[in-house]
Amino acid sequence: MRINCPHCGERSLDEFSYLGDAVVRPDPASPNAQDAFYAYGYERANVAGPMQELWYHAAGCHAWLVVTRDTRTHEISEVKSAQEVALARQKVAGTAQ
Amino acid sequence: MSELANDIKKASLEASERTGLTVTHIAARRGARASLDDVARTAFGVSLPSSPKAVEAQGALIVWTGPDQWLIVQKDETGLDHYAELAKTFNGLASLVDVTDSRTIFRIAVSRPSETLLRSMGIDFHDNSFRPGDVAITHVSHLGVIVWRLPDGTAYDFACARTYSRDFADWLRKTMA
Repeated sequence: MRINCPHCGERSLDEFSYLGDAVVRPDPASPNAQDAFYAYGYERANVAGPMQELWYHAAGCHAWLVVTRDTRTHEISEVKSAQEVALARQKVAGTAQ
Repeated sequence: MSELANDIKKASLEASERTGLTVTHIAARRGARASLDDVARTAFGVSLPSSPKAVEAQGALIVWTGPDQWLIVQKDETGLDHYAELAKTFNGLASLVDVTDSRTIFRIAVSRPSETLLRSMGIDFHDNSFRPGDVAITHVSHLGVIVWRLPDGTAYDFACARTYSRDFADWLRKTMA
């Protein structure tokens, strides 16, 4: 498997570390934070199909990436910088408020 | 440590350790990238690269080392403290670390890079793929390296952690055997 790092270009899997599901971490200040963190920590979805995952380019540019990978075929359809994804989410959250 | 690479000389490859350099790592502070670029343009006459490239300017080589991070490699000059000058130039816009003593830089002049350097690396060193001024951050035999091709295309510089420089030299020697 090869991952197309948006900063470095296409690189071999051995340069990356896998963290897991790229779901958004719950807000610790929210009223249901305890339940939300329990679900975040233990109730992970076991997706058969495209899934957004966090990968770290450990032996490369040290950037965190959000990779959309089909768990059945390992086909990667999209790779984005995690920073960009987080900023976009913040923008959407800001607009919604 | 200069004995590390001096004996590595083959028909197609010649390696030496670069000395007499000041190497500074800089990382843009949050939200300061645009201002940092303005200051860099004034100081060096070029923009800081946003992609894996190395640019030469005012006697310094600016090497991209990740998003919003660079290495600035400068030749030592008597009576001039490059790091202090850079700290003054980029004050408040970037975090700076003098990594001169924690990095060893090997210069590798090679006539057939795609045949020789590829043996243990996952980077395509073909002339059409890794062009003059290109940079890659990768590993060789589990040793992290930053490699750049000199903007004039004549050689490749490999920067590795000084702690692993002997292992890197061993790798090079064995790869070339």
